[in-house]
Amino acid sequence: MLPEGMYYFSGNDASAEGALAAGCRFYAGYPITPSSELMERMAARLREIGGVFVQMEDEIASISAVIGAAWAGAKAMTATSGPGFSLMQEAIGYAAFTETPCVVVDVQRAGPCTGQATKVGAGDIMQARWGSHGDYQVIALSPWSVQEMYDLTVRAFNLAERFRVPAMLLADEAVAHLRETIKISDAKEIWDRKKRTGASPFGTDEEDGVPPMPAFGEGERLAVTGSTHDDWGFRKTDDPDVHARLVARINEKVLRQEQAIGETESSFLEDADTAVIAYGFTARTSLYAVKQLRKEGLKVGLLRLKTLWPFPESAVGRAGGCVKRILVPEMNRGQVAGEVRKCVRCDVEPLGLTNGEVVPPDAITDALRRMAR
Amino acid sequence: MPGITQVRWCGFGGQGVVLAGLLLGQAGVLQGRYVAGSNSYGAQARGSGCKSEVVFSDGPIDFPHLTTADILVTMSQAAYDQYCTDVVPGGLIVYDAPHVTPRKGPDARQVGIPATDAALNKLRNKQAANIVLLGALVEMTSLVSPSAVERAIGQHGGGRFLKPNLEAFNTGREMGRQVHG
Amino acid sequence: MTRAMEQYLRPGVKATPFCPGCGHGILMGLILRAIDQMKMDMKKMLFVSGIGCAAWIPSPHYDGDTLHTLHGRALAFATGAKLYNPDLTVMVISGDGDLSSIGGNHLIHAARRDIDLKVICANNMIYGMTGGQVASTTPVGKKTATTAEGNPYRPFDLGRLVTAAGATYVSRYSVTQPVSLINSIKKALRHKGFSFIEVMSPCPTQFGRRNRLDKPEDLVADLMERCIPEEDAEGMSEAELAEKIVTGEILPCRE
Ligand SMILES: Cc1ncc(C[n+]2csc(CCOP(=O)(O)OP(=O)(O)O)c2C)c(N)n1
Ligand SMILES: [Mg+2]
Repeated sequence: MLPEGMYYFSGNDASAEGALAAGCRFYAGYPITPSSELMERMAARLREIGGVFVQMEDEIASISAVIGAAWAGAKAMTATSGPGFSLMQEAIGYAAFTETPCVVVDVQRAGPCTGQATKVGAGDIMQARWGSHGDYQVIALSPWSVQEMYDLTVRAFNLAERFRVPAMLLADEAVAHLRETIKISDAKEIWDRKKRTGASPFGTDEEDGVPPMPAFGEGERLAVTGSTHDDWGFRKTDDPDVHARLVARINEKVLRQEQAIGETESSFLEDADTAVIAYGFTARTSLYAVKQLRKEGLKVGLLRLKTLWPFPESAVGRAGGCVKRILVPEMNRGQVAGEVRKCVRCDVEPLGLTNGEVVPPDAITDALRRMAR
Repeated sequence: MPGITQVRWCGFGGQGVVLAGLLLGQAGVLQGRYVAGSNSYGAQARGSGCKSEVVFSDGPIDFPHLTTADILVTMSQAAYDQYCTDVVPGGLIVYDAPHVTPRKGPDARQVGIPATDAALNKLRNKQAANIVLLGALVEMTSLVSPSAVERAIGQHGGGRFLKPNLEAFNTGREMGRQVHG
Repeated sequence: MTRAMEQYLRPGVKATPFCPGCGHGILMGLILRAIDQMKMDMKKMLFVSGIGCAAWIPSPHYDGDTLHTLHGRALAFATGAKLYNPDLTVMVISGDGDLSSIGGNHLIHAARRDIDLKVICANNMIYGMTGGQVASTTPVGKKTATTAEGNPYRPFDLGRLVTAAGATYVSRYSVTQPVSLINSIKKALRHKGFSFIEVMSPCPTQFGRRNRLDKPEDLVADLMERCIPEEDAEGMSEAELAEKIVTGEILPCRE
């Protein structure tokens, strides 16, 4: 591991280092702008510290290899961007249904389709939540700085291990390519999947709803399947109760923990009449804009979402209860604004920009001044 | 944001613009400053417009991109023409003379450094113009210390490039001192 | 299956899930016989499969670790598991459609990497599970649910495909050649590299029924007549060979 200290890292570098610090020892990926540097760093560093790196033939193979390695006992990850994230969706559903801990970093770029490969966007928020078929949950975190590319990658691994779910780091090109001073310290909490010899790997009476997870080769004679299965992994493809119970559990084990998983940060909200709700790079711009307007005497504040899925309904609801109106600037056409609307009664104004650029400070200050009038 | 300095470095892809920004930022970090750096370039690796921006601050940086430039370094005419007006009054523009022709207009101190020529004629390495400019800039401003840049070069431009890079850096410093002194 | 193989089956597994006359059930037993003869430790064996009838051969019946994955992706999952834990003996058992059509890209790349995976492709020349649609392995002219007039396109020669892609042990046998097939599986178990065994497996329900081989025994008889060892194929004319499936080692491995 890197010695403690201050580093000048890009977001992609920082995420790779965070993964290693969290215990990641397997990486499979396929090149794509703007996430490739993350893969290149993992290739070099896993070689150095004795992990496994493999460049696969495509993103479907990459996420599949990650899931295979996770069941062989690894903390495993892959990273990609929009087009690759689309290809991974079926397997992400597999990971959710088989309760496989793994981490997917999506460095969002300007979509749809190939779009503008080197430009920024945040259009994958809903895809991260709903991209695979059926009812399932994932965890998705949104870093706003290079420091958080590191910290939230560690957290993504911890949450993946703790809840046995695929966890995603929904980064954006601006944060991934930004270079910043970051502090790396040894003091961090690390979670590992729980293990219990002889326990059923797909069902539990425990309150958290998360069964222990053995690895292949440990003599547990695991049966893993993406078909509906009972507590022991036996296919049960036409028992309605088994299906209902399994689908409920893989959803509830995450949703019940919304408050534990959800992290938000508020600034200047105490006396605010207008709130900005933002995430990722746009939250940086938002804080800057809010500080500018505070100097002008406007009562504006910021609620920053560090967790996007499960959606931090409680925190958003609380913020919505205290202000008259909410502005949601984002690099898409209102994906999170729609979620905010579900949680609050006040006016919610989306500020969606999809030109491949970050939302500039002026756009936010202008909108807030107009709303204040 | 008090104590903020914003530097924009631009030119063509292949001129080492990104490396120059990286070294500048790394040197700042080594001196304990808060630094945020970002690059932008066209889809192709060589020949299209390229820009590296670095924000230095004494505290955490809210908005990490440039809002305007305190210092502009230009390695091509196109870059100069595009960005020379977006410099704060009383700021500094450094350009690669004589390949870039400055205009009247910008309310800034404009300094020509024959970096490419020195790289070609003295160092026999056209690729070194970026490091020459970096040396000159370090002497003309108190942005970062020369020793911090040397350590940064050791980290990012080391190996077989260490010696030529340090040579280019010293050549640039010499040129910067002449302008300054 | 004889009771002798029961020790390799998960407790509670009673009958195979396959249709009467399906070759996959025979293959299920033959693989276990090879494992038994090799005295493999089932605790260190991982069986990976995709989606389809053939994918059910190991999952969940075999009493080792089984990983039943997504349609086409078995080899990619297996690659991840094997690379992370090289002590596992990883066998991939799946269908022709799964491995060579939707999973075709993974197949050639896994062969190219020559990772130690033992692949058994149960080739029934059709998509069995989804109701008998044409596959990338269906012979020209054969009728399927999507080629009522007969398949207009040529099938893959899987053995040559994976050989060209870099596999290091390749063979083809039919479930009607149990002794040779068991021996070949044992070779694959010993071989340290990418092995690929194509196993011809009759599908009376979806293939036979549409191609005038209604009764299971008709299809078996047909396979027995058409599958000939390479020695017998030598000297046969192209016309004679057209209807034959030449079996044997396509790429022998160094032992
Ligand atoms: C992505 C995807 N597409 C299609 C299917 C439907 N499907 C299930 S099994 C199968 C074909 C299996 O054929 P094969 O691999 O030859 O196995 P067989 O049933 O013949 O043994 C198909 C197309 C699926 N499960 N997933
Ligand atoms: Mg088939």
